[in-house]
Amino acid sequence: MIDGMMKIFKMSCKDVYPLISESRDHSLPFLSRMRLKMHLAICGLCEIYQKQLETLCRIARSLGKDESKALEKTSLKPEIKEKIQKWIEEKF
Amino acid sequence: MSQETLDPQKWVERYADMMYRYTLVRVKDPEAAEELVQSAFFAALKSQNSFAGKSSEKTWLFGILKHKTMDYFRNSKKNISIDLTSEEDQIHFDASGHMVPKPGNWNLDPEKAAENNELAQVLAQCLSRLSDKFHRIFVLKEMDGMSSEEICNEFNIKPTNLWVILHRARNQLKLCLESNWLNTK
Repeated sequence: MIDGMMKIFKMSCKDVYPLISESRDHSLPFLSRMRLKMHLAICGLCEIYQKQLETLCRIARSLGKDESKALEKTSLKPEIKEKIQKWIEEKF
Repeated sequence: MSQETLDPQKWVERYADMMYRYTLVRVKDPEAAEELVQSAFFAALKSQNSFAGKSSEKTWLFGILKHKTMDYFRNSKKNISIDLTSEEDQIHFDASGHMVPKPGNWNLDPEKAAENNELAQVLAQCLSRLSDKFHRIFVLKEMDGMSSEEICNEFNIKPTNLWVILHRARNQLKLCLESNWLNTK
């Protein structure tokens, strides 16, 4: 019985690690969810990997915000700004 | 409640750079981003009457820009093939089942990392190295919060393919961040 349980839950990092990314994209089936949880509880490296993906996705979310300061030095070309301003003035 | 109003004379000064950066991180190509910002301003000028004053001027303008960007994605997606064999997973496992390269210790709190501009700049560079297909799907999922279902419908792909694409894109970005920023600190 315990052997059977161990077989179900024993998964190598290679088997488990795609589930770490996938769990961000859909809700995993019950058994996969349990396997992942058990594996993360005993595998430090997969736990680090999971945290890295979490960090990566948070940085991406913040980079995509309209008020992000990451590309502060990048601006629209002055001639394009002038062109748009001209359209606007013409509308008045 | 006071109604929001539009002040087009100030649009370029207030929003042009912000809109350009917002678009550039999403479409990669500077020329395409320039075109999109221009067409958003043009559409906004033409449709000022549709501004109901319920949202802010900025929200309204960005709403138009988001539509234009999505149209751009739709029109150019025909050229994007979903061929997974050309982009293998960059993370491997050795004979004893260990992850290669071994994940480094980033020593970063995810929430604090999200406020780190330098890190976001490196991610922007890493993102621009992704293939168009991976880039677009990652952007829609992680920046715009589009659901997996919507993305599958947009690109006409199976969920299992989407998961593989996102998994590989995240791995590429993770390794790129690790080698370009975190290991140098």
